[in-house]
Formats: sequence, C-alpha cells, structure tokens
Amino acid sequence: MRTALAIARKELSLYFTTPWAYVVFTAMVALSSFFFAALLETFQQVQQMARETTWAQMPPEYDSYRNLTEGVAVQLWGTVIIITLFVAPFLSMRLFAEEKRNKTFELLMTAPVRPIELVVGKYLGGLGIITATLALTLLFPALLSFFGRAETGTALEWSTVLVGFVGVLLWGATCMAVGLFISALTESQMLAALLTFAVLLPWMLLTSVAQASEEPVRSVLTYLSFDSQLQHLLKGVLDVQSFVFFASVIAFSLLLTHRAVEVQRQA
Amino acid sequence: MPMIEVQHLTRRYRDRVAIEDLSFDVAEGELLGFLGPNGAGKSTTMKILTGFLPPSEGVVKVGGFDVTTHPLEVKRRIGYLPETPPLYPEMTVRGYLRFVASLKRLPSRGLDTEVERVASLTGVTHVLGRLIQNLSKGYKQRTGIAQALLGAPPVLILDEPTEGLDPAQRAEVRALIKGLAGKHTVILSTHILPEVTMTCERVLILNQGRIAAHDDLGKLAGLHGPSESASLEEVFIKLTAA
Repeated sequence: MRTALAIARKELSLYFTTPWAYVVFTAMVALSSFFFAALLETFQQVQQMARETTWAQMPPEYDSYRNLTEGVAVQLWGTVIIITLFVAPFLSMRLFAEEKRNKTFELLMTAPVRPIELVVGKYLGGLGIITATLALTLLFPALLSFFGRAETGTALEWSTVLVGFVGVLLWGATCMAVGLFISALTESQMLAALLTFAVLLPWMLLTSVAQASEEPVRSVLTYLSFDSQLQHLLKGVLDVQSFVFFASVIAFSLLLTHRAVEVQRQA
Repeated sequence: MPMIEVQHLTRRYRDRVAIEDLSFDVAEGELLGFLGPNGAGKSTTMKILTGFLPPSEGVVKVGGFDVTTHPLEVKRRIGYLPETPPLYPEMTVRGYLRFVASLKRLPSRGLDTEVERVASLTGVTHVLGRLIQNLSKGYKQRTGIAQALLGAPPVLILDEPTEGLDPAQRAEVRALIKGLAGKHTVILSTHILPEVTMTCERVLILNQGRIAAHDDLGKLAGLHGPSESASLEEVFIKLTAA
C-alpha cells in the first residue's frame, strides 16, 4: 500500500509541476462561472416575473426558481457534470500513456511493485486531481450562501447542495476510472483523451436513445445511462442505487486496467 | 549456487523468434559482458531476466527464485538500467531517486542517505536539485545508473550504460562498474568491444538469438584467434559473420 501511495503522490506532484493542473483548473472555473452567471440571470428574470404576477399564475416549470438551491445550485451541478465530461479526459490521458512514451513503464514493471498497486496508485493520483478540480466549483454555492437572501430560512440548503456535489464527485471518479483504462491501452495521450471522450459522451447520452426505443430495451438503457443515474443525487436525494452503479463502473474499469497492464508485458 | 541461472530460454514475438534455447549461468560477483550485433536478442534477454517480459519457454532463476513464479522476489534483487534510461523529465534528480527508492520499498528512514550514496557513486551529487529535462545526456545516463544502484541490489543488469557518453564519462562509468564487481553480480551489454575487454572477465556473445560463445575473455581470444594476441574484435566478427 505504501508503494501505491508513493505512486499517487508522484502523479499528483507531476500534475502540479507541469501546466496541466493549472490549465484544467482555469478551464473549470472559467466555464462554470460563465454558466453560473447565466443561471443567476435567468433566476433573476423569473423572480422578477413572479413579483409582477404571483407564483400561482406562473407556469409550473418555473417552480424550481422559487429558491436559490433548486433554481441555481442544483442546475449548476448539471453544467459542472458536462464540463467534467470535457475536462476529465485531459487529466486521465497521461496516467499510463505518458509512462509508455517515456519508457518509464519499464521502470514501474521491473520494480518490486504488484500491478494492482500500480493501478491503485495511479487511480488515487487521478482521483486527487479531479477532486481538487471539482472542489473549486464549491466556490459558487459559497458565494450564493454569502450574498443570497431567502424569504424564509437560509439562502441555500447546504445538505441538498452537498449531496449534489457528492454526485459530481462520483461522476468525476467514474470519468477518471474509464480514462485510466483507456490510457493503459495506448502510448498516445491525444488518442487516450479522444477515446475517453468518445466512450463517455455517448454513455452519458444513452437516455435520448432510450426515449426512442421500446421496452424492455428502454429500461435497460435508462438504467445504464450516466445521466439518469445522476439525476437523483444532483437534486439532493441520496440514492444508494446510483452509488452501487458508479462503484461498479469504477471497479470494473480498474479491473480492466489491471488486465491491460498485465497483458501489456506479453506483447 | 550461481546467482543467475538461465535454462533453455526462448522468446517469440508472434512468429518471430527473438532468442532461442539460451542456457547460461552467472556466478555471484561475476561481471559478464553481453555482446552481440544489433537485434541479436540482448535487450530481450535482459527484459526477461528483470521480469518485464515473460519467457515463451524456459526457466530463469535469480538468487534461486524463478522469475515466472516469484517475480517480486526477483525484482527486489535486481537493479536495472534499460536501454533508454527511464526518467521523468519534470522531476528533479533528488525527487526522482526518492520516488524510485520508495518503489523499491526501501525503508523511509535512511532513504536520504541512500540517495546521497548512489548520487556520489555516480557523480550526480551537484545536480540533485536540478530538473532532469535540463540535464545533459551524460547526466541523464548517470541518473539512470544511480537509480539502478538504489538499495544496493545483489544483481545489476545494465543495458548499454555508456551509450551517449563522451570518452571521459565513458571511462568514469567503466571505472564505476568495475568497482561494483565483487559486491554485485553484473550483466553489462554493449556494442563497444574495447569496453568489454577493459571491464569484464567473462563474455557471452549472442548472434541471431543463439549463444555464439560464452567463456573467459582470455580463453576466447586463444580459442578463436589465429594467435594468442587475437583481439575480441576479431573473435566477434568471426563468430557473428555467419
């Protein structure tokens, strides 16, 4: 386990000694602040409309705009999920591909390190960097709760926001696990990033395919889609089923990575 | 008991045979020169000895442990410098050596002393704080050797350790390797024949994946040369001409 931690530490320090971490942090914060501002704008407009009439006369789909938690924070997590989809492949792509290009893979494989420790160490490093990236977005709910006001109680329901954030973290962890596996398959970082994206995006969008198909395919596809699995968590409902789902996807990806590392030596 | 035992070792890459039916022993403390033209299978053999590649057939034992069944025991006993030194350009030399030391499971107490020890052996002490990407080729190569020496493993496998060095650095590395013999069992591969004559007692010449010769340096020259004074170069060319 100590070796796995040493590998994780090395991964993290490499992210921070190269521009990668900073570029990704900037992209994450810049993009989500853009969406955050847009969400605030809409929120304000709807509130304005409601003040001119009454909430009872407003169309029902505007109901979520009655408070900042559902009107802004929950929707913000929805956009962070999408940004993560674009950003995570750039973080995961180097994990194994770079080692192979650098010929340092040979060093790792001839050191007294079990492949499982290598995979776990790499994954922990990836988990560290994605957590740091996503943690930056907590800034936005913090701003809301600092400056926002509500008719009753606190401006923001932190329990809902934090459960949503757990969902975001789970999603980030899943992206990194899939990315880790794909990175173990190739020497080219660009190819690893592209393939990761090509796997994650359609998987995310399975719901739209599901809607066009018939039962029982429909239920299966809906269950498998990342999007529908995340829905409850993002809204602040602790959903054990989604935890099991994402944990399985992560475990399966790590298992495949382990196999890929083992097979690599045979080639 | 020999430190390294190789019996009927064969390695195929799909339908191409890289090495075929190699058998040889290396005694403890011996310094074996590993020779052969490009593509003879030197690197493949070294990769199998270090547990990076699995053999297609045959048995390899290091310190009595089988590479296939006890890979960790074998890896713990070997310091390995691959053909391309495995370096992380963005790390400092010190950071890199500390990382490799933890990969090798060296106890964290005394880790700094160990890093200092191998750094002074390989002459990289004054560049410990520099980024590897800014080092000259010679220093990169030395850092690669330093990494192999960490933890003073009983067996050292060095794949062309003097590649890319200037003549003065070459002489230094040669002296360093010669100093290691006795304490370590060393396998050293190289293209540069005079280097072998200067450092090794025994040589193994590979040609097209087979052993062309395995003997003491002195005897080899006597057996194959037209006279007592036949050079290793003549022997080499004669054996690999086929």
